[in-house]
Amino acid sequence: MAHRIIRTLGLAAGLAVIVAAAGGADLKSVAKELFAVPSTTGNEEMLAAKIRGLLPKGVAVEEAGLGTIAVKLGGAPGPTLILAALDGYGHMVSGITPEGTLTLDRPVPPPHARFDAFLLGQPVIISTAKGPVQGVVSQPAMHLLTPERRKTQVEGFSLDIADVDIGARSEKDARAKGIELLDPVTYPAVLTELAGDQWAGPSLGVKAVAACLVSAVEALAGKTVGEETVIAWSAQTKSAARGRGVRPAIGSARARSRWQPKRAIVVDVIAAGKGDGFPFPGGGPVLVQFKSGPSDLRQAFETAAAESGAPLQFLTAPDTPLSLPFEVPPAEVVTLALPVRFLNTPSEIVALKDLQALCEILQHFLQPGGAK
Amino acid sequence: MTKRTGIGVLALLVSVSAAGAQSKAWDILREIVLVPGVSGHEGPVSYFIQGRLPAGLKAEHDGMNNVWFTVGAGHPHILFVAHSDELGWVVDKITPEGRVRVKPGGGILPQTVEARPVLIHAGRGDVPGIVSPRPGYDERRSEDEAPETPFTAESFDIYLGVATEAEARALGIAEGDTVTAKKTITDFAPGLMATRAVDDRAGCAALLDAALRLKPETVKGRTITFAWDVQEETGLFGAAELAKTLKPDYVFAIDTFVSTDSPLESKRFGFLPVGKGAVVRAIDSSNITPKPEILKVLAIAKKRLIPVQVGNSRGGNDGSVFLVGGAIDIPLSWPGSYAHSLIEKIDRGDLEALTNLILAIISDWK
Repeated sequence: MAHRIIRTLGLAAGLAVIVAAAGGADLKSVAKELFAVPSTTGNEEMLAAKIRGLLPKGVAVEEAGLGTIAVKLGGAPGPTLILAALDGYGHMVSGITPEGTLTLDRPVPPPHARFDAFLLGQPVIISTAKGPVQGVVSQPAMHLLTPERRKTQVEGFSLDIADVDIGARSEKDARAKGIELLDPVTYPAVLTELAGDQWAGPSLGVKAVAACLVSAVEALAGKTVGEETVIAWSAQTKSAARGRGVRPAIGSARARSRWQPKRAIVVDVIAAGKGDGFPFPGGGPVLVQFKSGPSDLRQAFETAAAESGAPLQFLTAPDTPLSLPFEVPPAEVVTLALPVRFLNTPSEIVALKDLQALCEILQHFLQPGGAK
Repeated sequence: MTKRTGIGVLALLVSVSAAGAQSKAWDILREIVLVPGVSGHEGPVSYFIQGRLPAGLKAEHDGMNNVWFTVGAGHPHILFVAHSDELGWVVDKITPEGRVRVKPGGGILPQTVEARPVLIHAGRGDVPGIVSPRPGYDERRSEDEAPETPFTAESFDIYLGVATEAEARALGIAEGDTVTAKKTITDFAPGLMATRAVDDRAGCAALLDAALRLKPETVKGRTITFAWDVQEETGLFGAAELAKTLKPDYVFAIDTFVSTDSPLESKRFGFLPVGKGAVVRAIDSSNITPKPEILKVLAIAKKRLIPVQVGNSRGGNDGSVFLVGGAIDIPLSWPGSYAHSLIEKIDRGDLEALTNLILAIISDWK
């Protein structure tokens, strides 16, 4: 992908102000709460329920089908749509063997070719209707590994040989634990707190962004925002609509159809820390545009970043499935992305200062006059 | 009460009466697996073991961190030995970018720690890090590209959240520090779990539990030594050191039986199911136990109603070091699935059967 960082507004000195202003502690605790909740495409209901529970009392939550939820903040006629994903990549139970192990599939295509290979020999959680069930994805014992088996079962590991051991001995045992086909399978939500105020964990990027929107609603609820704004957490953003050409994400295509936004801000994650041409973790959120050059939305975010003292990186990149449905003139769209190191691995790394800057910019943008 | 339940209760009563108090091996295991002790750096786990030994017991230790105690006097001299070291890495260097490189080895599949958290056991405390995924992990590879470089301990680095060597060193990290996978415990059900370092902390826990429940009068004119030795995974070095001074007639090495009770393994050998009892490891890569000795163990187990399985598999054991000194090596185990992984699986009943078997052997071995 031909990424090109155009410019960075690095205002490191302003960061201390941001941390205080964005209510860092609250954002952290919200992010941790969301991080703990599994959410894969088609199985977003637990995360949606958690977000509902964290929103300020009195805020009306709109259900927009398929599991998408939204909050409307009043202001001058708009609307502006702020859209983030509810779903992360994951797996699901595709079968139960007579021996009581589980086979796996994905609800959507993987984000990259090695995605499934990370499962080898790992603990997983199966979210059943009866509650979470702990399991492990089997691997060969080192003592028994021949060079041939190393090729096929380790280097060639795929979903074809991914068996989840849940300690059951029969299909009946497995079902007694509550296992059913299609139950989501995810890595345990173990958060690793690294030096430099960075966190690592599975599907952390999506959860952090979702937390940022919760934080924005908290900060703005009951206040007049610059423009009527829908803040939406969309289900099924990893599932693509069928058809020819570039395929939009189902979740965002439905969002466009429902709210017909004049302006859309897709809040997403973006791979970072991969060297030249890629966003820099810790350098602030990334404003992604399909076309380089000035636009009203870009100008508004530049202003919001400058006035709030938050760093912002800029990138010109192809449309993503999430932003694509909104690329219909005269509507405007930008993607504001959280830089994530090791994106789509079991240890996505997020710099908290990036997350805090993302929230601060969004909140500033939404305030009256902030979107000028 | 059904016939089956009745037999179970009877077995429990007989086992407990032979062994004394109720087993605490499972609880000990859940604690000791979390204590770091990479081969050659077993200090923390060695202190843990010494701290849990029965009060008043005269334990010995050496400069390698081998720990042992002996009770009784006379023949035969019976040695029970488990190894306290675990698999892991050692910091080789810190790059100018603040990444940690490790020395070759590790003993587990490097793919299973790719993009996973690890702990660096630094002088000032544990420092978390993430093993960087292979470069280009998320990029499409064209068919005409050279084959991908294997992902190995030599090739991976650990990201700490810092950007310079100085920042990494400021966290307390230095060459020679040990690195282990960040451990989590998967509880399949009460009494059935999977985690890292069950090999051979389960052996350590079984011996500790047996030491705590040992009744001195059961020793009866024989010499019994319990040892927790080091550096098994890197070449049985701790056992070799012990063998210079300990000359047992029988050695019972307490270590994993590499079971094929797992979906990916062939069941043509080593298929001793998890949950079906302790194991006599009849043949492995380092030892062939004489059949009469196996039968003696089985007879004792039968008398005490202790469930025991017999099988052959791969891997070595510390007892083999004592063979040339004249000892007979009779390795005892539990059936362990996924040996040398982050998800080594063990059943509580198997572990407690093992502990009961150790105590029964002390009492009944002739």
